[in-house]
Amino acid sequence: MGKEQGIRVENLVKHFGEGETRVDVIDGASFTVNKGELIALIAPSGAGKTTLLMMIGCVTEPNGGTIWLGEEKVYEDGWLVKDTRSIRREKIGFIFQAPYLIPFLNIIENITLLPQANGVSQKDANAKAMELLTYLDIADKARMSGSQLSGGQNQRVAIARALANDPQIILADEPTAALDTERSISVVKMLKKIAEEQGVAVIMVTHDETVLPYCDRIMEIVDKKVVMKDSLSDVKII
Amino acid sequence: MINLAAKDISHSLSKFIITAVGVGMLLGIVLIMLGVYRGMISDATTLIDDINSDIWVVQEDTLGPFAEPSRLHEDFKNTLRSLDGIALSSAMTFQNLQLPHSNGKTTRVFAVGYDPLGKMIPLNPKRIVEGRGLEHDHYEIVVSKKTGFVLNEKIPLGRDLYTVVGITEKTVSSGGDLLVYMSLKDAQNLQFLYSNARIRADRARGIKGMDSHMVNAVVATVKAGHTPTEVASQIKQWKHKGVFTNNAQKEILTGNLIKMASKQIGMFTVILLVVSIVIIAMIIYNMTVEKIKEIAVMKLIGIPNKLIVKMIVQETMLLGVLAFIAGVSFSHLIYTKFPKNVVLLTEDAVRLFVVILIASLLASLFGAKKAIDADPTSAIGG
Repeated sequence: MGKEQGIRVENLVKHFGEGETRVDVIDGASFTVNKGELIALIAPSGAGKTTLLMMIGCVTEPNGGTIWLGEEKVYEDGWLVKDTRSIRREKIGFIFQAPYLIPFLNIIENITLLPQANGVSQKDANAKAMELLTYLDIADKARMSGSQLSGGQNQRVAIARALANDPQIILADEPTAALDTERSISVVKMLKKIAEEQGVAVIMVTHDETVLPYCDRIMEIVDKKVVMKDSLSDVKII
Repeated sequence: MINLAAKDISHSLSKFIITAVGVGMLLGIVLIMLGVYRGMISDATTLIDDINSDIWVVQEDTLGPFAEPSRLHEDFKNTLRSLDGIALSSAMTFQNLQLPHSNGKTTRVFAVGYDPLGKMIPLNPKRIVEGRGLEHDHYEIVVSKKTGFVLNEKIPLGRDLYTVVGITEKTVSSGGDLLVYMSLKDAQNLQFLYSNARIRADRARGIKGMDSHMVNAVVATVKAGHTPTEVASQIKQWKHKGVFTNNAQKEILTGNLIKMASKQIGMFTVILLVVSIVIIAMIIYNMTVEKIKEIAVMKLIGIPNKLIVKMIVQETMLLGVLAFIAGVSFSHLIYTKFPKNVVLLTEDAVRLFVVILIASLLASLFGAKKAIDADPTSAIGG
């Protein structure tokens, strides 16, 4: 696969508060993530990892800069799309620290909710969900509720949910935080496989250095800017 | 499309049903209050409906025997018959009495005096559950079952003993007192005839004896081809008399006499209804707060607001409908236990249903507002 642009960010700026209470979080971040790449985003707690993820995910509005998702410019000193939620619905898959499955929906309903909101028929959404669950090796759990599954299985369901709308981008916020090393590596390998096979650009926030060797590149937030690391030896997780 | 409301409700079905039943009991009390009001109206018109006259002739410048003292001479019933339009006429008395029981206690009643041999009988035969109606001019009394008197019991009133010859049910005056029926002559004696000692004292003071041939109202029916309004307008030309059609007399009862009571009940009903609506709103708000994390996740992954709001509105509407069904069932289970007459009307239930639907819709706005305001970033840690 060629170096097709998945996410491109230029001079992104974000601060909270004004005047004396102003706190600058991101100040001139620029980077590109290609389709098919799995990028680890590391930084100490409070450095702005989740804020950066939420800006790329069209959840939190930046204070300046430009964001492209694929070839579509979605932000340039203001949102360029009226409904940012539709961008999330159609282009982005989210995976969180915990699975956060909807407790009153079973596994397959959790996965098909978003495609159905996008207008996909229930039949097609179910077929796609079963395909994903098979791919993630939990097809037999389709009619169960999240409370009947282990933490690792729930996180796989969360991955399936993130993939259900055929996203161009996956934003994962510490997806392995609640898992042991073995399961963490398993989940990251899975994200890597998805990125490669489906041409998805994946950014994964992590504090877990054991998963870093499985990522294509590592980004670090240093002094409110994003720095790409050339090798693992440059990385120091705090 | 997945119905989120149905999924959420089935996930915590027992909790939802218990909540609906709880609110329903409150709505049941609202229906009972409305039933008490309807019962008052029904009670107020029972006697007038049973008398079934077209015209009421009363003392000049009074509103009739149910509103204020009214006296006119008994023989006016005969004068009235001279009018072309009059078919039947009858004189009647209405008064409150205290009936003494053998144990020394008394029961307050509203006594109707009428001619038992006449053609206008205010005692509706279908209300007699034991014994018979009046058949003689003296010393018989028909009482309501709730007075506690039994058939053939003797009741001392004035100078005489009265025998209970009949027992009735659902006979209540506009004031809520139980009805008893006695002959016109007996009723006149009890109302207008003083004791011998009083008569002697009055004579010694030069006061003439009181005429006991007075009545409180003369009622009449009109012949076919005449209208009560037309006949009443003729009677109005006569001096010293007041005249009302049956509908006007009913209006005086329901419009004036029980106006305050109905306002009181209306206030209670409105307060109960407002409390019910506030409770529904709070329940829905709490239900939304309980799943605010899930709502934030849904918003974050891109689920549109309309789907989330639809879930909240559907849940509220269903809660309202279930509560209404529970309320109707509850009110029908308990309404017979109330001492006063409670009349549950379908039209009241339908009105309440509409109010609950509108109220539920408004209540759901609280939950919907909370959901719309939920910050999607609160779904994740940073």
